[in-house]
Amino acid sequence: MNAILHAQQLTKHYPGNIALDHVDFAAIAGESIAIIGPSGSGKTTLLHCLAGILRPDAGTVTLSSAVGPVRLDSLGDGALSRLRREEFGFVFQQGMLLPELTALENVALALMLNGTDRTTSEARAAEWLAALGLAGMEQRRLGELSGGQVQRVAIARAHVTGARIVFADEPTGALDSATSNEVLDVLLQSVAANGRTLLVVTHDPNVAARCQRVVELRDGRIVADTGCAVPPPSQPAPATTDFKGAFNV
Amino acid sequence: MSSLALALRLTPYLSRSSSRQTGLHQTKLRDAGLPILAFGTVTALLLTVAGGSQVFWSWSDDIAGTYQALAVVAMVLLVIPLLTLGASAARLAARRRDDRLASLRLLGASSATVIWMTVIESTVLAAIGAVAGAGLYACAAPFLGLIQFRGHAIGGHAWLSVASILGCILAVCVLAAASAALGLRKVVLTPLGVRTRQTANGAHWVRGVIAAVVVVFGVVAMGMLSSFGAFMVIIAVMGGCFGLALLALNLMGPWVLRLQASSQLKRARRPEQLLAARTVLESPKESWRQVGGVAMTSFVGVFVGVGMAVADTMGSSTSDESTQLVRDINTGVMITLLGSFLMVACSAGVNQAAAVLDRASTLVALDRVGMPQKLMVAARVKAVMSPLLLVAGISAAAAAALVLPLAGPALLTRPVVFLTVGGVFAAGFLLVRLALAAGTAQIGQVLARPERYASMDS
Repeated sequence: MNAILHAQQLTKHYPGNIALDHVDFAAIAGESIAIIGPSGSGKTTLLHCLAGILRPDAGTVTLSSAVGPVRLDSLGDGALSRLRREEFGFVFQQGMLLPELTALENVALALMLNGTDRTTSEARAAEWLAALGLAGMEQRRLGELSGGQVQRVAIARAHVTGARIVFADEPTGALDSATSNEVLDVLLQSVAANGRTLLVVTHDPNVAARCQRVVELRDGRIVADTGCAVPPPSQPAPATTDFKGAFNV
Repeated sequence: MSSLALALRLTPYLSRSSSRQTGLHQTKLRDAGLPILAFGTVTALLLTVAGGSQVFWSWSDDIAGTYQALAVVAMVLLVIPLLTLGASAARLAARRRDDRLASLRLLGASSATVIWMTVIESTVLAAIGAVAGAGLYACAAPFLGLIQFRGHAIGGHAWLSVASILGCILAVCVLAAASAALGLRKVVLTPLGVRTRQTANGAHWVRGVIAAVVVVFGVVAMGMLSSFGAFMVIIAVMGGCFGLALLALNLMGPWVLRLQASSQLKRARRPEQLLAARTVLESPKESWRQVGGVAMTSFVGVFVGVGMAVADTMGSSTSDESTQLVRDINTGVMITLLGSFLMVACSAGVNQAAAVLDRASTLVALDRVGMPQKLMVAARVKAVMSPLLLVAGISAAAAAALVLPLAGPALLTRPVVFLTVGGVFAAGFLLVRLALAAGTAQIGQVLARPERYASMDS
């Protein structure tokens, strides 16, 4: 099985500590991977390096793309920005959506940044919001939505561009347990239904338990990895009833 | 424990912990440096204007009245925008605390405690800025004394009494305290709404109606000026009309910007257009602060142009007194213009720096989802420059309407007026553009260290 994302010997220092210590990691297309570990273990730093948000001090991150392997460390800031908006989707705990925009505009913006016209962008954004249970809430500002609804908007934005890899950092961290389960259902089902790869950083053992693979970090090193449990990429990705046929992305 | 006592205890504690938590000079600059700079500039300019105009009231001969009338016009044209800038500085000091105070309110702090905390913080910053501004004035006063009117240097008249300086410092502090308390009404009433930015800050259409009524009233009053009889009454009416018109512009500005942005939002096709329109709609008052200085200066520019046209017309006179008056009018309009531009430069610089720091977490979010930096810059430039032309034009038109009954169409349409107004527009736009360019460099700094801002509330 070929890795869609492959990191070798990733190292990242912060003043006074080492966040990543020669980490090797590979993600297979279609996998859902939980990255767990105590605070300060390097989970978020690993996620940011894999997503091209942070540049590692040493080591490489290689993305398998349609045009061949792409080394993230060889890309300039502009190319990295383009990669993030075309290949990756993001669902973070807070602060990653724009409060001045409506739910619809937040999702549509991701497409508009890729050059899609506004009418098409908003139509596709509305489809995703409806599929995620937010029909009728398109024109609401984020402050008018509940925490769970805001995370659904973030999930819709992560998917709307057809991103192949979805990065999530504590996506349920600010939610109560019932809402957390609902958001996790939506995230996992949407990722599986569309054959996307999910990398999720979490403290929550319930979240980790629902991912196909769990990678544990401690002091900047991978200390445990349950290994790949995903079907070969040639097989169709599992689709749930809720999402089957809902999108043509 | 009383609300005031609790606020006195909590305020320094929270200020210290906030600085420790972030540990950033940028945060300190945002929270304290910018308001202090703004209050300092306001105080220094206010004292300079007051000091410089003292000399006119020391004369009592036949022509003194003409000088006093012109001085009143110049003072109103400078003091009203300065007070507006002062209120803007006060809001700058207070609004950064909105989120934190809203959180405190949600934790159970009483309305009185929250209000006291904000008033104390804003007043302390205003006091520091005002004292620094007074120091700046003391440095400038000897140079101010070199300016000549009626053939003599102002000299010692440039120096205000200690009581006047202390009164000015006190006035700036009171302005800061009142503005902070008024600005907190929403935090006190709907803390959760502020914390989650539930609603955009609107600008009601009533503002437009009030402003239009005030300008029409001003035009009518200016047309009846000669019927008021007593010279001092005429001066008072004239000064009052100009002042009210400036305040009306300040009232109407946010509403006009909201209308323009609503229209632009509907027509937005590209991401930067969408973001620019939403940025204005999020807080039209905030956007007005970015461009209000140029609007005020455009208003002043029309009067300056007319002043120069008057001087031009009188230039052919052979009497010594008239020649001296022409020279002094030219000096006066140049000083008024210089003061106005100093205000615009301060307003643009402070507000642009604050705008970038306020939106730092949004910029980081946009960067992470792959928005190119040049698009962020384009959105910001559009959000400021697009309203600028509109409000500058409206201000100049309002000023022309007011001055028309006094000057007449022949004087108002002289080339020197158009040249002056065009020059004022160009210089004002350039200053704002320079401030935006400085803000662009700031965006680069924010994105270079995103971890500093990623978790900050925008």
